[in-house]
Amino acid sequence: MVKADEESPLSGYRVLDLAGPLAFHCVKLLADMGADVVKVEPPSGDEARRVPPFKDDLPHSEKSLYFLHYNTNKRGITLNLDSHDGRAIFLELARSADVVVESFRPGRMDELGLGYSVLSAGNPGLIMASITPFGQTGPWRDYKATDIAGLALSNLMVLTGEPGEPPVQAPGEVAYGMASTYGAFGVAIALYHRLETGRGQQIDVSMHECGAHIAGYFIPQYGSTGAKPSRASRKGEETDLYDPYPTKNGYVRIFVIPVEQWRRLVDWMGRPEAIAGPEFEKMEYRRQHPEIALKTITDFCKRHTKEELYEEGQKRRISVTPINTVREFMESAHTKAREIFVEMEHPVVGKYLHYGPVPRLSETPGRVTRTAPLIGEHNGEIYCGELGFSKEDLVALRADGVI
Amino acid sequence: MKQLPLEGIRVLELTTGAAGPTCARVLCEFGAEVVRVETRLRGDGHRGEDPKKWNKKPDFVKLHRGKKSFTVNMRMEKGRELVKELAKKCDVLVENYGLGVLEKWGLDYPQLKELNPSCILVRVKGLGCTGPHAADLTWGPNVGNVMGNTYLWNYPGSTTATAEPRTQHPDFMGGVTGAFAVVLALMHRKKTGRGQWIDNAQLEIGASLLGPTYLEYSVNGREPQPQGNRSLVAAPYGAYRCKGDDRWCAIAVYTQDEWERFSRLLEESGLDRNGKFATHLERVRHRQELDRWVEVWTSQRDPYEVMETLQEIGVCAAVVQDVEDQFKRDAQYAARGFLVKLREPEAGEVVTEGIPVRLSETPGRMRGPAPLMGEHTHEVARQLLGLSDEEIKALEDEGVLT
Repeated sequence: MVKADEESPLSGYRVLDLAGPLAFHCVKLLADMGADVVKVEPPSGDEARRVPPFKDDLPHSEKSLYFLHYNTNKRGITLNLDSHDGRAIFLELARSADVVVESFRPGRMDELGLGYSVLSAGNPGLIMASITPFGQTGPWRDYKATDIAGLALSNLMVLTGEPGEPPVQAPGEVAYGMASTYGAFGVAIALYHRLETGRGQQIDVSMHECGAHIAGYFIPQYGSTGAKPSRASRKGEETDLYDPYPTKNGYVRIFVIPVEQWRRLVDWMGRPEAIAGPEFEKMEYRRQHPEIALKTITDFCKRHTKEELYEEGQKRRISVTPINTVREFMESAHTKAREIFVEMEHPVVGKYLHYGPVPRLSETPGRVTRTAPLIGEHNGEIYCGELGFSKEDLVALRADGVI
Repeated sequence: MKQLPLEGIRVLELTTGAAGPTCARVLCEFGAEVVRVETRLRGDGHRGEDPKKWNKKPDFVKLHRGKKSFTVNMRMEKGRELVKELAKKCDVLVENYGLGVLEKWGLDYPQLKELNPSCILVRVKGLGCTGPHAADLTWGPNVGNVMGNTYLWNYPGSTTATAEPRTQHPDFMGGVTGAFAVVLALMHRKKTGRGQWIDNAQLEIGASLLGPTYLEYSVNGREPQPQGNRSLVAAPYGAYRCKGDDRWCAIAVYTQDEWERFSRLLEESGLDRNGKFATHLERVRHRQELDRWVEVWTSQRDPYEVMETLQEIGVCAAVVQDVEDQFKRDAQYAARGFLVKLREPEAGEVVTEGIPVRLSETPGRMRGPAPLMGEHTHEVARQLLGLSDEEIKALEDEGVLT
């Protein structure tokens, strides 16, 4: 256990990070909430170091911005789990760890001799979270699936894009994100249980199942009514005012559900005759007459900028938001006031704006303590400082490809 | 020995929409007793406006299965007092009304802390509780607009505003992340006895996944643009047309070995695998032409045949499923029993998604059907507020308990 720091909720907990991209957001949540995360990379470096974007667009193992985002707040060691000594060292690390997060294919940890029963033999409080594409059981458990596959199976991707054109993946790896979020929740529950009983456990998270939780209400609706939305039918439904409206400089969306909001919108537009009638107060009617409702709102929006519509619409208690670009989001007054981006410095990348810890707990907030580790940056600190290896040992281990 | 890990934890839920309800539902599945405060003065967003249908909505079942419903008139002083009494007896308060509502009801954190210093308050808000847009009226779908998600979710160079349908991941991810934070706060309370409050902004939780994209702007000074299904690390990569009406299969080939196996299949369609697609670099450079070759092969096959054929040879492939596929053709959901039937008193049989995180020692559990409007008003009034039948009757006559 590292020295306790009362400030953060997971201070004092040690997490061994064997996660691939599917579980990155999980470990990031734990690291941001104060856990002492030790990332275990193969000697050649984590795969994610080869994932773009890169600083100056130049591929380099210390310049992946993808790696940087997900590994800030961690320490890093290299360790070859395919070697005998590598596995022995991992077992030793696991003896004092609280949590292991891994996303290898099912069975891989057992093949390495690092399955839960082995790791927990000397450490019954150990929690091991396995976040995998399809979970640890079932006919698809050995199938490969990256984020695009998780999204494809979720019933959400089928609704993206234009009819006749390929469906489009989401930005930001949301299937990975949802699986990781459930993984972190599972770890928290297991830690809570351990406070009461001292016992650890295993956690099985399936991205494929988490994907079903991204999409909304299609599953309960289909089960009850047989409704099967498609891209074409969805367009019709979204004429309930949720289509993007062009403005002088980009787009806004207006999401009107309660009737009061509709009335406020009609008032704001100066009660145009075409839609002022009481029949338009019914969502159903608006949906059936998009050529009138949509056109009237579009004409109105085109006369304004998206900032004007956002400010004035929200002032009038109508749910208008702008479709922002990345720059617009990062530079908005709200983002700046919330101080979500934290200035940091990385020895190779230089100064950058790190996306800080969320959510925000008042008494035990998350924290940002260090930038992402260079390859093997903390080998000395952990192998010599904690496990008692000498520097000569490290040279021998490196010569043998163990670290 | 507890049956479920959060047994003994009582959650008071003051919510609307989806994000707050999801937060409380996840806690419920792991053992918390959730009392949802509702009103008959108007329908909840997911019960709908028509009182005859309040107990019949499958959406509502998904969000509220296993909870209790306590109906009260919050416009009356006595109603607010009753809810404050409930807050004294709860461990967690989950809320997601517009900023100002909780303040008006006397339950924002400074006031709640006076009533119940060890209580944990989670405020599941679109844009958070501070900043110039804290009071914005938002739902999950239009939070995605603000963070850049909607803009980026598109084909490269598209002339349309977005390819994003009405998605709500900031609702669901925001709710589950809120539950994560609540459990951390419960751990802290177990050690110190102290409560706290959580500013749980759906915007910030959803936007966290765009971190690498924000770095692209802040480090390289370049405004990120929609990438559609483009990838530089995999080729072929994307959604490929299959046999049938608007049927697609996602395919992603990452390694040379995977390509060697896949390209042997494509040879059947006439592809020269030693030609311009021999290396990853060549495949990325000629990806449009490569995509056409892949579609020659996929478009003659059912999407499940494509998925299974490729998975058999170790290539990542997944059908772009619709909801009917999830019920009828998804062998994995079926084998793991993921889609669960609930028998609802008025809504009939409702199928909802199961619990996607499985803990070996303390698994979660579906706690039962969704509550009818006001189903537990008497039970809560008697057991938690200690009211007698006469007092309950009097409050009902006054219109406080509804």
